[in-house]
Amino acid sequence: MFGDESLTVSEFIDLVNQTYELAYPIVSVVGELANFKISKNKWIYFDLKDELANLKFFGTVYQLNSPLEDGMLLKVTCNPRMHRTYGFSMQVQQIELVGEGSLKRAAELLQIKLSKEGIFDMDKKRLLPYPPTRVALITSAQSAAYHDFVNIINNRWRGLSVNLIDVQVQGEIAVSQIVKAIDDFNSQPDQYDVLVIIRGGGSPEDLSAFNSEAVTRMVAASNIPTLVAIGHEIDISLAELAADRRASTPSHAAELLVPDKRAVLSSLKVSRQTLNKKLEHTLEVMSYEIHRKSEHLQTLIDHIINQFFQDVLHKKELLFAYDPDNVLQRGYSIVRKQGKVMRSSSYINLNDILDIKLAKGSVTSEVKSVDKG
Amino acid sequence: MSETNNYRKLNQELEAILGRLQSSNLDIDQTIKEYEKGVMIVDQLEKYLKSARNKVTKITQRQSKPKK
Repeated sequence: MFGDESLTVSEFIDLVNQTYELAYPIVSVVGELANFKISKNKWIYFDLKDELANLKFFGTVYQLNSPLEDGMLLKVTCNPRMHRTYGFSMQVQQIELVGEGSLKRAAELLQIKLSKEGIFDMDKKRLLPYPPTRVALITSAQSAAYHDFVNIINNRWRGLSVNLIDVQVQGEIAVSQIVKAIDDFNSQPDQYDVLVIIRGGGSPEDLSAFNSEAVTRMVAASNIPTLVAIGHEIDISLAELAADRRASTPSHAAELLVPDKRAVLSSLKVSRQTLNKKLEHTLEVMSYEIHRKSEHLQTLIDHIINQFFQDVLHKKELLFAYDPDNVLQRGYSIVRKQGKVMRSSSYINLNDILDIKLAKGSVTSEVKSVDKG
Repeated sequence: MSETNNYRKLNQELEAILGRLQSSNLDIDQTIKEYEKGVMIVDQLEKYLKSARNKVTKITQRQSKPKK
């Protein structure tokens, strides 16, 4: 084969690549990450190694779903390739983190990165409307989390409209579906009071979509206030940290979202009783006040009228002291000549006719003598 | 003229009569005239006050009656 038919270097490389394509169109390789480098913010280079060997990989930054760090365990879907200049390497199609340690470390690195951008800042958190009327819900319609959530909501409150976008909450397409669902709801932000994203418990790999950069950023950027509950009490995902409010479980999310109508009714009953008591007390106080004022008014008007009577009585007594009858009773009499009261004898002459008024009756007399005094 | 003003005016007139009676410048006829006028005014004032007291009593009774 290699006798006369020698190949050029390029021809040989092409032949090798054709062979690779035929034999290994796509392979998955698991190994520990080493020598990870990003070039010109566009290309990525790294090695995967095990105890005995080392393999080179080449790809683009767009294939990165999470921050990487040497030492992480990766599963890389790729195809072998012989480059004309740089030799053999594996061309990356997809990178997945393997093992709890790697996932946790990737989440930590992403959290540090996003924290610096202020994605988790507490002062950006909005208050959720309580209770809301229109809920945008993102979860898997098949999940127990969804049924628990809806059951608890319906049991606690009424009149809530819940619009669901059914997504896969784990696996390869989970991230893109969740991102699209958040985007879809946010295209009509006025239609919803709150955006709820829930998922039940699972392994770290199962929950990894909610630690992805894309989902975390979308949650943080949502125009609709967000409530996110992923996994169990102890699981805290980056999407939850980016949300306006986090709930420990999907059931807890339902409890946070709406009050229990029984508790509200009971509290209203207590409020009504308190209000009634307060009202009764106020009325009692006011009634007593009016009664007191009424009594005061009564006393005052009696006093005033008595004062007027006393005033008139006083003047009456004063007036009676000048009653001319009193003088006549003492023996004095009033002498008139032609109707005019006589105070002196100098106006009286002999034979004048005088009218004399006594205390009882009167007499007419003729003057017999006059002493001019 | 309102009743209040009337009462006030009568009261002022009574005070004026008392003033004139106290001045001792009046002869007996004037005294009698003033006195008569004074007695008449006292009578009017007393009637007015009695009617005022009755009014107050009626108002008080009306207020104390329980509403149907």
